[in-house]
Parts: sequence; C-alpha cells; structure tokens
Amino acid sequence: MSQVFHEIEKKIISVLKIELKLTPEKLEKLTLLSPDQVRRGIEWLKHKELAIVDASTNVEYSLGKNGLESFQRGLPEKRLLDLIKNNPKDISDLQKELGSVFGPAMGLAKKNDWIDAKENKIYLKNYPSNLPGEKSLKQIGEGITSETQLDKADLASLLKRPNFLVENIVKTKKISLTKTGQSLDVTSPGSGAIDVEAKVPDVFVARTHPLKDTIDEIREIFVTLGFTEILGNMTQPSFWNFDALFTPQDHPARELQDTFYLDGISSKEIGTPEQIRKVSESHKKNWRYFWDINEAQRMVLRTHTTCVTIKHLAENKSDEARIFSLGRVFRNEKVSYKHLVEFNQIEGVVVGKDASLRNLMGIQREFYKRIGITKIKFWPTFFPYTEPSLQTMVYNERLGKWIELFGMGIFRPEVTKPLGITKPVLAWGGGIERIAMLKYGLDDVREFYNNNLNWLRNVTKCQ
Amino acid sequence: MPVVTLSYSRLQKLVGKVSKKQISELLPFLGLDIESEDKNSVRVEYSPNRPDYSTDIGIALGLQGLLGIKTGALKLNVRKSNRFTINVKSGVSKIRPFITGIVATNGKIDQELLEQIIQMQEDLHMGIGRKRKKSSIGIHDLDSCSFPLTYTTTTRIAKFIPLKSTQESSISEILENLDVGREYGHILGNSGQVPILIDSNGNTVSFPPIINAAKTTVTTKTKNLFIEVTGINKEDAEDMLSVVATILQSARFTLEHVKISGAKNSSPKLVQRKISINPTVINQMLGLNLKSSQIISSLKKSRLDASSKGKNIVCTIPAYRFDIFGPMDLVEETALGYGIQNLEPTLSPSQTLGQISPISSQLKSLSQIMIGLGYLEALNSSLTSKRVLYDMTNRNSNKIISVLDSKSQEHTILRDSILPGLLENLSRNIHESYPQKLFETGTIFLKNNIIDEKTNLAAVCAHKEANFSEIKSILQAALKIGFNLEIETRTSSHETFQEGKMASILVHGKTIGMIGEINSNTIENYKIRVPVVGFEINLSGLIFD
Repeated sequence: MSQVFHEIEKKIISVLKIELKLTPEKLEKLTLLSPDQVRRGIEWLKHKELAIVDASTNVEYSLGKNGLESFQRGLPEKRLLDLIKNNPKDISDLQKELGSVFGPAMGLAKKNDWIDAKENKIYLKNYPSNLPGEKSLKQIGEGITSETQLDKADLASLLKRPNFLVENIVKTKKISLTKTGQSLDVTSPGSGAIDVEAKVPDVFVARTHPLKDTIDEIREIFVTLGFTEILGNMTQPSFWNFDALFTPQDHPARELQDTFYLDGISSKEIGTPEQIRKVSESHKKNWRYFWDINEAQRMVLRTHTTCVTIKHLAENKSDEARIFSLGRVFRNEKVSYKHLVEFNQIEGVVVGKDASLRNLMGIQREFYKRIGITKIKFWPTFFPYTEPSLQTMVYNERLGKWIELFGMGIFRPEVTKPLGITKPVLAWGGGIERIAMLKYGLDDVREFYNNNLNWLRNVTKCQ
Repeated sequence: MPVVTLSYSRLQKLVGKVSKKQISELLPFLGLDIESEDKNSVRVEYSPNRPDYSTDIGIALGLQGLLGIKTGALKLNVRKSNRFTINVKSGVSKIRPFITGIVATNGKIDQELLEQIIQMQEDLHMGIGRKRKKSSIGIHDLDSCSFPLTYTTTTRIAKFIPLKSTQESSISEILENLDVGREYGHILGNSGQVPILIDSNGNTVSFPPIINAAKTTVTTKTKNLFIEVTGINKEDAEDMLSVVATILQSARFTLEHVKISGAKNSSPKLVQRKISINPTVINQMLGLNLKSSQIISSLKKSRLDASSKGKNIVCTIPAYRFDIFGPMDLVEETALGYGIQNLEPTLSPSQTLGQISPISSQLKSLSQIMIGLGYLEALNSSLTSKRVLYDMTNRNSNKIISVLDSKSQEHTILRDSILPGLLENLSRNIHESYPQKLFETGTIFLKNNIIDEKTNLAAVCAHKEANFSEIKSILQAALKIGFNLEIETRTSSHETFQEGKMASILVHGKTIGMIGEINSNTIENYKIRVPVVGFEINLSGLIFD
C-alpha cells in the first residue's frame, strides 16, 4: 500500500488525530473541505484501512400538535385533576372547560382510578404524585431530543397518544482512525508527494475514424506504388456503370433488386455520340439484343468505382497510366453482419504495353504485403468486363480460413475497343471494409457505421 | 450466383481416378467457389457464364481436363434422323418465335441424375434464359410424344393437364392459379394467343415458357428424352440446347437430330467454332514464355481443341462454350489449363509517379484540424432515411432524391445534408460520457438539372454547457488555420436550429453554411438530455471546386 496521501486525506487524518471521533459534518467544519471532498477522503482512507466508519441509527423526537398543546397547558388528565382538586364539578362544566381533550382525560383518569363520578359530578379520588409522560414532555419541549436521553417507560405513554410526538430517524456516521491511521505522520517532509499509483479518470482522444485510417493507408500504398488517384461521382448513368463495361442491359446485376436506381432521374449527357454508338454496337453484336439508350441514361448509384476509371481511360486514352479510384459504392442488399448497402471500394488500373496477368498478380502481392498479409493465393473467377479474371484469397489466422478479397483481370477488348483504348488495361478492385474488418478483428461490418462512441473511443488505432 | 451441390462419390465415378481431397483442391481452379463442404458432398458457386457447371456432369468434364484424364473438346455426336420433326406455324412469330430441340435415347435416369437435370434446367432458366424471358427448356419423355409435333398458338381457353396435376386446366387458369403461371405469365403479354407445342394426336406437349404437360413427365423409368427450347432468338435458344445436349451425351445418352422448319425456324446445328490466336499475344498477356505445344496442351486441358497453323494456333470451341467471344477468352483458357497456381507474380518497376487527389489531401488536412480541436470523426451512409433526414429535424423535404425498391427501410434517400446523421449518432450515444464532439466530411446530393454532388463538413458538440460561441470558435479556428479564411455570422433562421440562436456563415460575403444551437424539438425527438450546437458548411466552392 502506498503511503502517499492526497491533500484531502492529509487534512482528515490531521483533524482525527486530535478529535478522535467525528461526524462527516464536523470534519467538514474542521478541515474546511467540501462535503464531497470529505466523502471521497473517507472512502479512500477506509479502503486503505486507515479509518473506520461507525454507522449508527438514532431516533429523535419533537412534539406534535397535541404534544405542544399539552406542553403549554399541561397534559389533559392533569388539567382535569386540577379542575376538580378542590371541588367536584359538573360533567357539562368540565366538557366546556376542556373541550376536545375531555374524553381522553376522562378515560385515563378513570382507568387509573383517580376520579369518581356521581350524579353528573366528578370527584377526585386520589391525586397521583407523578403523571406518566409529563417528564418526557418537559424534556422535549419545543426542541428535539434523542431517544437515548429519555425515560423509556415514561416516553411510552406519550407514544400511545395521537399527534403527541414526531419521530425522526437519524443515521449518523462517526469517523475515527485505525491504529495504523493514528500512527501516521502526514506532516513529514515526504508528504508533498502524490499517489502516483492511484487510478486517474479516463479521457478520450479525438481521432480519425478507424475505417478512414484503413482507407488512408490503402490510398497511400497505391500512391507509393506509382498510382495516381482520381475521383468521380457516386451517381452515374447506367452507361458508365454497366454498358461501357460490357454488362448487357438484361443482366441480372442491373435489376432493381441488385442496383439502386434513382427515382425518375435520367441523364441526357452520357457520353460522346461515338462512344454511345460503338458501345451499343458491341452489345448488339455480342449479346444479341435490342440495346436501348433510355436504359443507358437511367441514373444509378454506382455499384463499383470501375465506372470512374473506365470513363477516365475513355477520355484520356493514355498509352501508359497507373490510376486508381477510391470511394463509396452501393448495392441493394439486405443489411446484415456481412453486407452493407453502401461501402468503400478501391479500384485501380494499369495501362501499358507490358501489362500482363503476372504483373497484375505482382501488384496485388505487393499491396497485401504492405498491409501485412503474406499468405495469399489466386483463384480464377468471372467478371463480365475482364478476361482473364482472378480473385485473391487471403488466409486469416483468426478465422482459420481463406477469405476472398480483391478481384482482378484484364479489361475485355469488348470493353476497351469501343472506347478507343488500344493498350491492354489491367484492372483490380475490391471492398475496403473487408480489409478493415480483418485489421480490427470485427465480425460485424455494420460496426463501422454505427458511430458507437464506446467503440470509437476505445478501439486501438494502430493494428 | 447459382450454387450446385455435388456428391463426392458421384463425382469420383464421373471423373475417374481421383481422391476427394484432389477434387476439393481443384474445384476453385475451375472458377468454382466452395460454399460449404462435408464428408460426402460439396456445395459450389459457379459463374452464370458457365451454365455447363450447373451439373456435376459438366464439372466432371472440367476436372478430367485439369487432371489430364481426358483432354480436348467434347464433340457432340448427333445421329442424323428423319424420325423427329417439328413444324412451326407463323402465329408464334410475334409471341415466342423460335423453337429448337434434340432427342436423347437409350439412357438411364436414376434419382440423382434426375435431380441434376432439374437443377440444370432451373439454373439455365434463371441465368442465360433471363428468367425464361429469353429462352426456356422443356424436357419430356420421348415415348409419350407422337411426332411430328407442331409449334403453334392457341387461345387462352384451350385446356390440357399440366405437369404435377391430374386435372385439365385452361391456359387462363394456369396463368392465374399456378405459381409458374403467375411468375412467368407476363412474358406472353396480353395477346389472346399463346404459344403451344402439340403432338400429332393433338395432345399438348408443353405450353412454353410456362409449363409442360403432365403426359410427358420424365421419371426414373424414362429411357428416351425429347428436349425442346423456345425463345425470342434463335442463337440463344440453340446455345441453351447445346448445354443440355452436351450434358446428356456425357450422361451416356445417344443424341438424335430433330428437324425443324417453318416461320423462319431451322434445325439446330450445334456446330463447333474456330478462333485463331497468335501465341505471342497469349504470352504477352500472361507474362509467360510458353511454346506453342505448351499452349495447345493447356487449351486442351481446358476442354478445347487446338492445333498449330503456321505461326498461329487454331482453337476449336464446342457449341456449349458460347461464353468464349474471342482471343482474350483463349488467353484465360490457356491460363486455366496451365494452372493459375503455376503463374508466379512479378512486379515490374513503375514508370509512373503516383499522386493523391488534391481533394483527398485537403480533406485529410481538414480532418487533422478538427481532431486537433477535439472532435472525433464519424462516418454515416450517404443513403439514409426520411426519418433521419427530415422527420426528426423538421427539415423541408420537397427535393428528395430517392432510390427505387430499396431492401432496407433505413436506406432509401440520398442525404442533402450531413448534420442530421450526426444528430442521430448523438441520440444513439446518450449513455456515453459527455462532452461528445463529432465531425464528418462527405458527399451530399442536391437535385438540380440532374444531380449535384458536393462535399460538406459538419460538426456537432453536445454537453451541459454547449453554446453558440463555443461552436463558432471551433469553426472560426478550423477555417483560419486550415485555409486562412475568415468567417462572418449573420442572424438567420432554419428549422434545424433554435430561433435566435443560429446564424448563416459567410466567407467573402458568400453564404457557405449554417451554425447554431440545435432546435429543442429535435433534441427532444432524439431524447438527448444536453444542449447541442453544430454547423455544416459546403467545402465545394470554398476550398476546392
């Protein structure tokens, strides 16, 4: 146990060493501390076994309405006895004289055989030397008296009477020092030290959102790998989100149940006439259906950030480029621990004559290495706009299983040719929340958007 | 994505010499994702572009290739025959113009095969059939159909006994009372005429794309099958037929030709295609240096045929591989046959200089400043609800941008402001210690000509002593330190804020946002027990375009 004391503790100990046993109220007066400081100080000393708190319950009495009247005019039975002390009196006269206390006075006097009644007259039989209750009545008077100072038997007679006494239960605490406490010297030179081992209050840091931290980390990794960030709108014409990416207009991914369409909003300016013509021709030739420009004009919440990069490539037609786009994407899903309707995605492309599938895999491996994932493998998969297509599987030690992360591939000629892109384009992308979940050990993706202060204030920043 | 359940013992029988472990390890390299697995079976998810993987028979073909047990393309052997013909009447042209078909004889159908076939049919309908709209299949007991058949139209009062029933129903009754009728009836439109396939005795064989007749039901006793596919386009119908034909031939049926004519219909060809590719392209795309012979052997492992022709490789693609459009698809087939696991990742040094977007970088600086001022960063969805955006704050809701058919009540409207979300966040944290100070930067959406996307900053501060001057100090400091901007505040009013305790914010005389004490009604609506102050400003047009 540390022998370093808080200023409050020191003041309490100093006073108790002289006064020995005090109530908190007395301690407040003698130490000049606030009630709250005294309360805390007592708690600390008690916890350190330096002080003892004796709690006791005491009953105090003051006089009620009838008690006060009796105190001023005498007990009813005394008043009755006094009236007939010298001569018997008529009952009616006594009633008039005593009013409401006549009944109780008569009852008591009869019961104790102090009086006699004959032909409507009351006679004194004997005058008692002391009346039960009178002593207590006088003791209490107009003040407050503790039960311990009163004669129990005498008090009992007052307690039976209505509105004579007001009972007040008082809990009192008395504080004293234990032997160890008594032996302390809180005025010694070392006593300026503070309790460095004591607990201190929690404070919370202001911080960036944990998911933002992951987003920033990923953004920086790609910048250091030579990629330039581009931004684009979250609301997009279907043309860039789907048609330009060779997704036929009757593809299930384009249905209302998978994609969010904006109610009644279409864009008239979806691309250049040449882009529109060539994209529609590619669809007609390969998918064999009637391509409808109205369908391409319908505005959607982008389902991937690929629409941003493909539009950039179509507008710039670079021979060499490394670009990426990062931001919110949307899917019409039921929200669950696995799925959100809105999440973040990163998507990047490499344009160049040397672009190859192995290079694409190399970029992925390097990226995962930099976020601390080394156990990865590649599996084939399918995307409408890339060929060949792969997905990365990463091993998660905590879950003991392989998890699918980024998808990737080489843009199909059916995508690039109509848009005038002549060099091969490597593309990859995937959700960021999944990576953040692995990083923060979360099993419920919704936690990122709950803004639960308990989590935000306490989750470890660097993981 | 569709899922198919595979029994290991059946797969082993179909593939040849292979262990369960080998199968389980190889499935992903066919592009099949393992959903779940137990001792006897495995459930895999396959891409809808490979409908041949809707059965274990199709998957077994792929596994045989990768294992080298059987390689090269599977050639369809369709016996020429004049026994089976379908005549098409012109009435169908405007409703469902095309029919194609094939006969498969001398097979054995056990319960497992029957289940696989039904599964395949369902998946084909959902996937390439586009919920039966584009094309749909009927599989019949050949011996219950009396050829020649006629594909024609009939009225909605025509009657027959539909599959799984013992009673006659009219077309109208089928469309109204049966699940399939209600689900797919819309494909036929409102015409009084519907397509019907009838046999030479006048018995209904099927009512495409809704339901078959009970008479032709396939059971485990069926030996010979008749398959018809109807659709709105000839090529798609034949594509679908080619998958079924391939699977049935692999299940040891003998295929026999069906002759089709009339109203622009013709007999199915189910021909192989040839695509020529330069090996250099394959090597460039994959980053490999394979010899032609290695490429050919890889393509064969992907169950295609290939041979050298001069400098090029000519690849023969069976009809059921209509997912292959051109040379790039052959690059992938080569990679799969070669084995993705054999491709070693390489990192070519970057010739480009990376750069963060200026907007991202400014938003990051702004976040750092807000954090320095003691504010915690929150993140909310841009797609939120009317309750959060308008009802709880009594904000004017006449320019709502909503999405169609959202599956989630809480995500139906694009936010036009960030502040309401932050107030909602406070309401969910009333049991956490105060002060609570939150900020968020993000996109808001405004209905204009189409949609304007702008970037905003909003902050809230909640505690017993929170007041106007505190939040004004914060905003003032943030914009001064961050961008050397001075703010002015002018008395204003807005439903989000308390009358008399709010202001509009101006920079260089232009209004950029609002600041003040949050309206007590909103605070009450959210059961927050302390005063809340806050602001929201447009960053677009202020610190970037």
